[in-house]
Amino acid sequence: MNQSIQAMPKILVIDDHESVLTGTVSGLRQQYPQAEIVTAQTAEGAQQQIERTQPDLVMVDLSIPQAAVESAQTNTGIELLKTLMQQYPTLNIVVQSAYAKALARLKHEINNHEGGFTVADKSLPLKEMLARVEWALQGLVYTPKEMRTGLEMKHEWLEVLKLAFQEGLQDKAIAERMQVGERTVRHYWTQLQDALSVYPQPGKNIRIQTEMRAREEGLID
Amino acid sequence: MRQVRQKIRDKCKREAAIWRVRALPGFIVVALIIGLRFMGQLQFFERLALDYLLRLRPSEPVDERILIVGINEADIQRIGTYPIPDRHIAALFTTLQSYDPAVIGLDIYRDLPIEPGHSELVQAFSQMENLIAIEKVLSDRSGFTVNPPQGLAPKQVGFADAVLDSDGRLRRSLLGTSVDADTSNDTDNYKFSFTIRLAETYLASQGITLENGIRDPDAMRFGSTELNRVSPNSGGYVGADDGGNQVLLNFRSGLAPFRIVSLEDVTEGRVPEAWIRDRIVLIGITALSAKDVINSAAIDGVNPGLVYGVEIQAHAISQITSAVLDGRPLLKTWSDGWEYVWILVWGLLGISLGRIFTSPLKILLGLAVSCVTLTGVCYSLLLIGWWVPIVPTLLVLVLNGTGLTALLFYRYQQDLKSKIQDRQLIIDRTFDSIHNGPLQTLAGILRTVQERPLSPEQLYLDLKCLNQELRDVYESVLGEISTQRDSIILSPELKLDLTRPTHEILDEIYTYTLARDLPCFKTLKLKVTTFKQIDTRPLTLEQKRGLCRFLEEALCNVGKHAVGVTRIDVICKQEQNQNVIRVIDNGVGIDSSSGTAKTEGRGTQQARELARQLNGTFQRLSLIDTSSGTMCELRWAAVAVRMKDEG
Repeated sequence: MNQSIQAMPKILVIDDHESVLTGTVSGLRQQYPQAEIVTAQTAEGAQQQIERTQPDLVMVDLSIPQAAVESAQTNTGIELLKTLMQQYPTLNIVVQSAYAKALARLKHEINNHEGGFTVADKSLPLKEMLARVEWALQGLVYTPKEMRTGLEMKHEWLEVLKLAFQEGLQDKAIAERMQVGERTVRHYWTQLQDALSVYPQPGKNIRIQTEMRAREEGLID
Repeated sequence: MRQVRQKIRDKCKREAAIWRVRALPGFIVVALIIGLRFMGQLQFFERLALDYLLRLRPSEPVDERILIVGINEADIQRIGTYPIPDRHIAALFTTLQSYDPAVIGLDIYRDLPIEPGHSELVQAFSQMENLIAIEKVLSDRSGFTVNPPQGLAPKQVGFADAVLDSDGRLRRSLLGTSVDADTSNDTDNYKFSFTIRLAETYLASQGITLENGIRDPDAMRFGSTELNRVSPNSGGYVGADDGGNQVLLNFRSGLAPFRIVSLEDVTEGRVPEAWIRDRIVLIGITALSAKDVINSAAIDGVNPGLVYGVEIQAHAISQITSAVLDGRPLLKTWSDGWEYVWILVWGLLGISLGRIFTSPLKILLGLAVSCVTLTGVCYSLLLIGWWVPIVPTLLVLVLNGTGLTALLFYRYQQDLKSKIQDRQLIIDRTFDSIHNGPLQTLAGILRTVQERPLSPEQLYLDLKCLNQELRDVYESVLGEISTQRDSIILSPELKLDLTRPTHEILDEIYTYTLARDLPCFKTLKLKVTTFKQIDTRPLTLEQKRGLCRFLEEALCNVGKHAVGVTRIDVICKQEQNQNVIRVIDNGVGIDSSSGTAKTEGRGTQQARELARQLNGTFQRLSLIDTSSGTMCELRWAAVAVRMKDEG
């Protein structure tokens, strides 16, 4: 990951509640003192801000109003996310919401999204919330288990697992074998790790964790 | 205020856009008709229409300024010889002169002496200054002309040549023409017609002289009345022979426009003196045997179409004297430009009928009213002397009007057809909804009941679910049919827009169906999916809906029949120029679980029909190479290879 983004990320926080905004922003300031943080309270405002500031990361509350005078609706947030993922395929996104299930509608888009995508329940402690922000900035994917029904994999992900753990190939070789870019292979990794609920843990090798989980599930022999 | 203006502008723009598309055929029709007219293809009909409208006019009173002395069959028989000898003509002159007429015109060729009595006639000619006779100046087919009678001053001679239209009918009056100096011994080679000579002499007696025109210096003028010359494209004419000075003939309407007496009437003194004194007296032959007749369809009569030459002369003279003295209208035409504007305007009206009215009946009614109005307007204009295009205007009006009506009828038919199709669709979709929803649940319950006894609580829950699904059928079908042609409704909460990329919709169908409470889904551990862009652009929305129903059905089958299934593979992608939708499970499967040959179910029928429509193949087979499992697959040719949305 780009070091300058890590140190001075440009962040847009979208929430219609002033108090939540203040809390989130102050939390982000602690973590990223040099970050450039802008806010928006409506979906329309958010889109203008994104066009203007081209942020590295967007934190979205699902329940927001479309414009200033309208009432907040979960649907507005979903539609905004959909548009953002379409227009900015590499944008890192953190979704703040109590109803993660609504995101199931975006499963297809999330699977195809190339940037980081994490979901952080509003009730999460600040520390964990900041961890989800960090994951998103690293391009990782984290979706809550409620969004999934059992183990859902893509055929490409199974291919990646097979090539990596049965044939011992590195990403570059995997990319060649699958005739895709290395970036796409990395994208497959983050997606399949989310599907297997494998997330970075201090002191643990995430690839080995992934292999262990995959064997557990019988995905590889 | 600005908003209102904006709104009006928007409306105008919208209207203009509609017109651009819908009115195009209408404009083509107008252009076609204008083109036909321009090429002269309509002039025959336009002239017929003119004749017809002229005939329709109400009768005008008898023109008392003119008396026709017609030498009829009885006269000829009484005299016993033809041509009428000069003596009788000379005697007629003398008798007439005794009543003091303003001018006498002899519309009978007298270039050669017809004895007996030639000397008497020559004497009469030289003595009477108010006598005018005829000659023929334009060569006939054989190149002959006819000389005037001897002994007349040039001023007392006018030519009797007539200009006929291509249909052989007379509609124009030749007033003057240049004659080739070589064939004529006259020094002055501009000749005046018999008509204009008589009118001139008569009007001069009233103190009005013949002058050159003011608006058109080449036209003739009496006082303030200018005689409009015919140009090659006047009115309905296209490329007419406009040699000399011609005017359109505004025939005097009515069965008896002039007083006609016979030669005998005059010689026997039966004609009142007042009919002759100070009047124009025309002498001509009114016997069919003499063949001095002209074709005209504009004059009503016992024998319409055939008019005696002398009567035509009377009409031509009368139209000039009546115009000058009574203000009776002469026939005028618009310039070509205005005539085409006029045609265009009526064409536009024809087009707008379809825009204003929507039902064919109303359009036809509007068309009828418009036609009557148009004819009425043309007729009224003709009454005041304007000959305006009626044939091309009627044509554009009727063609555009009926064309639109036909189009509407066609649309009506199409609507009806699609309504019937819609109804069939409703029936099909209702059954599909029941089949893919509650029937699947019911099948699940039945299967479970067969295997082990159900607890009342479980049965209650299942039945409750079934109840809800059945209720949802109505709403989902209603929603789909009424407004949502372009979407598929899986449940009241889940409505999918069918215009979205197919693989996205199928992904959602998959997610929705796997979340359903079907018995075999409970054992599922692993789901592996591929949803990649497939090219479904040539598919109709109905076919896309079919794809959705196919996947739903295939997944439901897994949920019902794939006992012990642990893994399911769902694939939607393009494989070697073929689009593939495939569902593979590792459960026990239909064939091995039921053990008996099943009749083909509704779902299979649907799938086969869809495959047929797509020109593809459908198959469902048990996987023998692995221990168990079923593959259900639909594949059809992809039209274009296009990979954009690589997942």
